[in-house]
Parts: sequence; structure tokens; C-alpha cells
Amino acid sequence: MSVTEYDVIILGAGVAGLTAGAFLAGRGFKVALVTSGEPTACLSTGCIDVCSRNNNPLAGIKALPAEHPFHLVPEKTIRESLDNFQAVMTYMGIPYTGAAEENRLVLSALGTFKTSCLVPSTMKAVPQDTKDSIHIITFAGLKDFYPSYILSRRKNAKFSVYDAGVSSTMGIASHFEEKEFLESFIDWLKGQNIVEDKIAFPAVLGLESADEIVQTIAAHIGKPVFEIPTIPPSMPGRRLFNALKDYFRKKGGDIYWEWPVIGVEKSGKIIEAVMTASTGRPNSINGKAFILATGSFVGGGLTAGRDSITENIFNLPVHSPGPRETWFENDYFSFNHGIGRAGIKVDSSLRPAESPWENIFVCGGILADTEILKNGCGHGLALATAHMAAQSCMEHIR
Amino acid sequence: MIKTDVIIIGGGATGCGIARDLALRGIPHCLIEKGDFAAGATGACHGLLHSGGRYVVTDPIAAKECYDENLILRMIGEKCVEQTGGLFVRLPGDSKRFRELFLRGCEDVGIPTEVISSTKALDLVPNLNPELEEAIKVPDCSIDPFRLCMLNIRTSQLRDGIIFTRHKVTEIVQSHGRCIGIKATDQATGEIREIRGNIIVNATGAWANMIASLAGCEVPMTLSKGSLVITNHRLTNMVINRLRPPSDGDIIVPNEAVCLAGTTSLAVENPDKIGIESTEVDTIISEAGRMIPHFNHTRIIRAFSGVRPLLKSKKMDAHEISRGFQIIDHGNGMYSIAGGKLTTFRLMAEKMVDAIMASFKLKRACETAEIPLDGQEELSGYPLSKRLTDMKDIVCECELVSRKEVERIINQTGTRNVGDIQHRTRLGMGPCQGGFCTFRALGIMNDMSVISPEQSMDMLRGFLQRRFRGIRYALWGDQLREEQLVEYIYLGILAMEKPQ
Repeated sequence: MSVTEYDVIILGAGVAGLTAGAFLAGRGFKVALVTSGEPTACLSTGCIDVCSRNNNPLAGIKALPAEHPFHLVPEKTIRESLDNFQAVMTYMGIPYTGAAEENRLVLSALGTFKTSCLVPSTMKAVPQDTKDSIHIITFAGLKDFYPSYILSRRKNAKFSVYDAGVSSTMGIASHFEEKEFLESFIDWLKGQNIVEDKIAFPAVLGLESADEIVQTIAAHIGKPVFEIPTIPPSMPGRRLFNALKDYFRKKGGDIYWEWPVIGVEKSGKIIEAVMTASTGRPNSINGKAFILATGSFVGGGLTAGRDSITENIFNLPVHSPGPRETWFENDYFSFNHGIGRAGIKVDSSLRPAESPWENIFVCGGILADTEILKNGCGHGLALATAHMAAQSCMEHIR
Repeated sequence: MIKTDVIIIGGGATGCGIARDLALRGIPHCLIEKGDFAAGATGACHGLLHSGGRYVVTDPIAAKECYDENLILRMIGEKCVEQTGGLFVRLPGDSKRFRELFLRGCEDVGIPTEVISSTKALDLVPNLNPELEEAIKVPDCSIDPFRLCMLNIRTSQLRDGIIFTRHKVTEIVQSHGRCIGIKATDQATGEIREIRGNIIVNATGAWANMIASLAGCEVPMTLSKGSLVITNHRLTNMVINRLRPPSDGDIIVPNEAVCLAGTTSLAVENPDKIGIESTEVDTIISEAGRMIPHFNHTRIIRAFSGVRPLLKSKKMDAHEISRGFQIIDHGNGMYSIAGGKLTTFRLMAEKMVDAIMASFKLKRACETAEIPLDGQEELSGYPLSKRLTDMKDIVCECELVSRKEVERIINQTGTRNVGDIQHRTRLGMGPCQGGFCTFRALGIMNDMSVISPEQSMDMLRGFLQRRFRGIRYALWGDQLREEQLVEYIYLGILAMEKPQ
């Protein structure tokens, strides 16, 4: 068995894990990030929802129930985490628009408005009301985008179909990275003689250079252009993940990709190492502190059995809403399903509560009482608690 | 107004079987169904073509009927019957006396059996509980109830039968004390259709008393709810029964890529208001897990229940009520046919049509037992080999359904209901239970202008609520994980609804 030594080991490659990792690596710590694979961030819209319950996200956070983990993070840290995120993304060429005091609207593929806080610049031109007329461009055979859903809600919308030669989200996005494709597409678009105020696209405008592509199209047509996030696979989610991952690497962090944790080594109140499966022999990765950012059920941090919910790495106690009957309400659209409150309860330094471990810090979607869908607080909570967990972790190591 | 000879109410196996029989005997008829075919107990059962073994001890007459029909259906319906064979397994602690009664019963009825050792049984079905004592092999089969209805209806369609699905009967038209017709509402448009006929057949299963009451008649029934679960995997290639008196969770049936296990038996009052309880799901899993231990850990993709339309009986336990059927002549031009089983649907239809022929004073023998079901080639599903050649425009990844196939069904049936596409293509039947592909199917219907954008939103909302009723009792493990993703897609990414 091979052994590697680190200061901090991050578990999970989502927004929370990569942010906490970059924070620590940027401050000179030796950081390893261990992940079993792609995070749920890749499935997301790429938007940073902070709190959608109030037009002012910071005010919305204040009104959240007392047990919500956002209350463990000082407002100063929340602001810093959002400012830092915007700076990082600008540096990585995927700029974001928005401010902590005001939510923005993003047009969904159903034609509804989704409330978010920081959004990719490719969604900056989204009309913030229903007044602007829009022209939607879709692509032949693209199976996850149907303009008619949007037309059902917006009477001042039209659409045209372009045949990109391929029909998958990824396929079309990679075509847009080619200069020739983009040029012939723009020629076609000019020929459409669009009269509407703005031009909307499903989010397929490039793999990494979406910002530049949106600006190029807008400049040639003379109208604002924006993207509409689609159901997974989601390009804006993937761009977000790739940028955060590359930034973490730039800061000197190591990533152990697709190395699922299969065991933990502990001594007294301290976790000493995680054992990971990999081809060949198992590896033991030693760390002074551990940041648990493995996400909720979809991310794989939690598993629901028939009778109980377990945390998959350290077997931490999981706060559960009650027996299985209480996990879901009868009304699918209720937003109050008990399962949304399941997760790890933590103390003020984000250490797991009711657990002996002194060197585990928890952040992101695995926290208890988040009710992420109801509160519209996914990636925003991940950023804020990642900063907080990283700070606690630093203090612990010192 | 439409005029015909016989009006059949109900598009389950019995109603569809009656339509086929009438068609083959040259009698004009019209079938009305309030949902899609097989919407009631027909589509909510195991899909088990009984050998009869299950009933030999408690109800030898029903057992004999089952075995005879089993032989007939295997012959006339090759493409909707999978000749899996079945095992009755005896586990440690199961009564040896029941085994003797079972074997003697099978012999009396004429059901072929073969007693095999546990080693041999494990060779046949490696996932069986290795502690089993022995197994008895019987000719059980798996049958696709929906396809069965479609194939029966095909004969009617080929011979000018008139079929209305998604039409709800709201009135039985009467004149001088006789039933002369019905009024039915088109569920999509609200339009009311009037159909006149000489005889009305009430083949509405659990709803028989409700329909009969429209004509001032009564069908005394005991409604018994049975719940089932579907696994994400096909854990056995044979039907597995527990060798003991009929009880909860004693049957496992393979069907296409999945297995169905059940059932339970609970008395209910209203067939439109049935739910599932977590305890039922747990019972089925642990009982099925006694026969096939993998059941305890395998992914359950859905739980559902159906209502058995049993004839009223003094016996308290529905497991013991006869599965036999009865034809009731209400004496006013209306007949009700109730009780029975999926396996004996053809026999039920034959007896019903015999009665109709007698009342018309016509003589023509039943041929449904000899002539193979029409349309088996084109309706024999959508073979994997074909699906793979169409890979490029796959709309449902779980069941490999292509856009072309969805468009074909829309063109062929003119349907405005996404459920009709799901039944005919298996779209949405896999692990995500339509979470991804229904959004797409409705988008395609929209593109083809069969529904308006507003309707597609309403249908998507209705579909998600219905879907949730099916999966909510099977939510743990990977299925819960998948469900959380689907919830995130609709409520998060697509912002379909806003929290209050």
C-alpha cells in the first residue's frame, strides 16, 4: 500500500469541495481532493443561487429558519465568498454577472423565470420581464430543448431551427468552438432577418469560450444574445465545474479522480487517512484535516436505505426527518418533502455535531436543513460554507 | 349518433376479449373505455399467465379454467406470452402437507408437474434462496397484459368494430325499462357522444357496480386491493411461486427487463381511491426476498396497486374468495360480467358472447380459441435489435425508444395523451420512470401540433404528479437518488413551480 501525506484532504469535487480546496491551496497548504467522479455541478444550470426567497438574497438568508446552516456563516464571509467566486471566474474566462444584494431572473427551458443571484455572463441579457420580444434559435434534433414550451408562456416569442449537423448538446457546443462553423452560422442567422428584441439560445454556445461566442454573435447581429440552461447534460454547469477544477489545480492542489473512498483510518478523536480504491492496490491518503463536501443523495454523500439514512465516508450521524413515511409528501410540487432536511448537523465551526471527530469540517449540500430547492440556495450555500469550513480547517491546523 | 348491436363498456382484457369474439362472430359492436386499454386491474396485475397451480388447493374449478386457457393462449398468442415456466418453491418451515395437497390437486386438474431437487432448481434459477427444500415445476408463463388487449382489439378494428378510448360513460340511456344506449364524454374535448345498441355489456371490473347503478342495477362485489413492486432487474427467468396457501408476496414474475412481485390483499371501498402503504411494500420485498434474496437489495423502480373485482362472498380473507367469474343478466338489455382473472379472460368473453348470441337467437360458434391473435407481427413489441439500429434519435434512454417511434405512434393513433405513447412504446418504463423522456415526448407532440403548448404544460404537470404517486412508495437507495435529480430538474433547472 502506498501512502501520501497532505495537510488537508477534500472529499468531493463539487462547487463546495473545489472552492474550499482552492482557498487552502492558495494559502500554501498541501491539498488533495479525492472524488469518485463528476460532481452534480455538471448537471446544474451553472447559476449561483444564494437565496431565492427574497429579491435581496442577503435579506432572504436572514429570514431562513433558525436551523438553516446559512446562519452559521457571518454575512461578511458570505459576501467574501461571492466576491471571490466572481474574481476567480473572471480570471478563468467564464465571467459571472450579479451582486449579493439583488437576485436576477434566468429564463428556463419551460419559459418560466428561475431566480438566481450570480449568473454566467451568457445569461446577462435575459429579459427581466415579459415585455421584450425574443427570437429563439434551436437546433435540429436537439432532444432536450423544445421552444414550444417557452411559446406557451411568452406570446411575443418566435423561433427558428438551425441544422448543426449534430444533435447532442456537447456536439453542438464543440462545433461552436470552431471558427468556420461559427462564421457560417452567423451568415445563416443574418439571413433570418430577426425583428425581435433579443435572441435566445439553448445553452450550447461553446464548451469553454461561451462568453466570447455570445459577444461575437451579438456584435454581428446587433441584438443582445443570451443562453437558456437546459436539462442535463448542461454546458453552463460543465463550464463552471471545469473552471473551478482548473483553478484548484493552478493553485497547486492535487486531484485524485475516480478514486472512491473505501475506508477510513482513525485514532482517538482524529481521522488520520482515507483509503481509496484505485486500479492496482488501495491507497492510503493521510491528512491533518478533512473537508467533507460529498453532496447530498444525488452527489453520493448520503444514501437512503429502507429504514435509515447514512453518510457514506465517515459514517457520521445523519439528521433525518423521521421514518420513511415522512421523507416525502403526497403532493409532488409541495417543496416541503422532509428528505430536503436530511444531512449532517454541524457546530459553529462546521464540525459534525454529536460526533467525536475534531478534524472533519462539513460544507455544501450534505449539510442538514438546507432545503435547497425550496430556498433556492444551492451553489451559494456551497460557496459560503466552503469558505467557512476552509477557515475553520486552517485554524485547526495552526 | 352511432348505432350498433352491442355496446361494451370497459377496455380491460375482458372487454377487449368480448370485442374480438363479437368481431369473429360477425356482430357489430362498439367498445368504450374511460382511460387507455388495460387501465384497471388488467394493467395493474403481475402479468402472470397462471398454470392453475396457485388455485388447485383452494379453487379447483378456477384452476382447471386457468390451465385450459393457459394452453390456448400459448397457442393463439405466441407474441404476447413468454413461456417461462414456473416453480413453486418450498422453503424451510413451509408445510409438507400443503405440498401433498398441491401435487394431488394438480394431478386431479391435469396440470403437469415435476418435483425437482434444490440443486436442480438452483441450476434453473441461480438467484433462488439456496436453502430451499425443493421445487415443483409447472407451466406458468409471463404475459404482457397491455399487448394482449391491443392484439384482441386489433381483430375488432379489422372487422369494423368501433373503439373509443378516453371516453367516460356518464349515462345509460333507457326507454320503457330497457337499456338502449349510452352517453360518453370525450375526456380530451368534453364532447358528449351518444351510442345506441341492443345490448350493453358492463365489463368494467372494479367499476362494475358504479356502471350498473347508472341503469338502476346492482353488481354485488368485494373489492380487494393488491399491491405490487417492480424491480429494475430481471432476477429470474421463470415465474417463482411460494409453495404454501395463497398469501402476501408469494409470486414473482419476470417481464421484459424487469420483475414484478406481489401481491397484498386489502379490502377497499372505492376503486378510484387506492393508495399504497409502506408496510405493504416492505411485506412484498421481505416475502419475495425469502424466495430470491437479492430482492432485499435490488432497486425497486415503482410500486402500484390494482383492484380485484371479486364477487361478493362471505369469506373474509380475499385470498380465499373464488377467482371464478359470473355473468349477470340484469333483464333490461344490460349484462354485467364480473370476477375472473386475466388468465381466463378469453373464456369469460366466450361465455358472454354465447349469452349475447342466444339472446339474438343467432348461432355461430366461438372461434377465439383456435384463431391466432391478429396483428402479432406488427404489435410484437419493438425488438432490441430494431431499437439499436435507430439509436441516433433516442428519446427514452432507459427503454431505447426513438423519436421516429414516438412520431409513428402519434400519427397512427392520433393520441393527445402522453400515456398512450408510454403504453405503446415502453417510453418512461425504465429506472427514471419518465423523468427525462416525458418532457421530450410532450415536446415532440407539441412540435407535431397535436397538442397546444398550454396543454403540454398541463400534461407535464399531471404526468409528474401521477408518476410520483407510483414511485413515492419505492423511494430509497438509487431510486431516491434518481428522484432527487428529477425533482431538481423540474423544480430547480426548469423552475416549473415556485415555492409558496
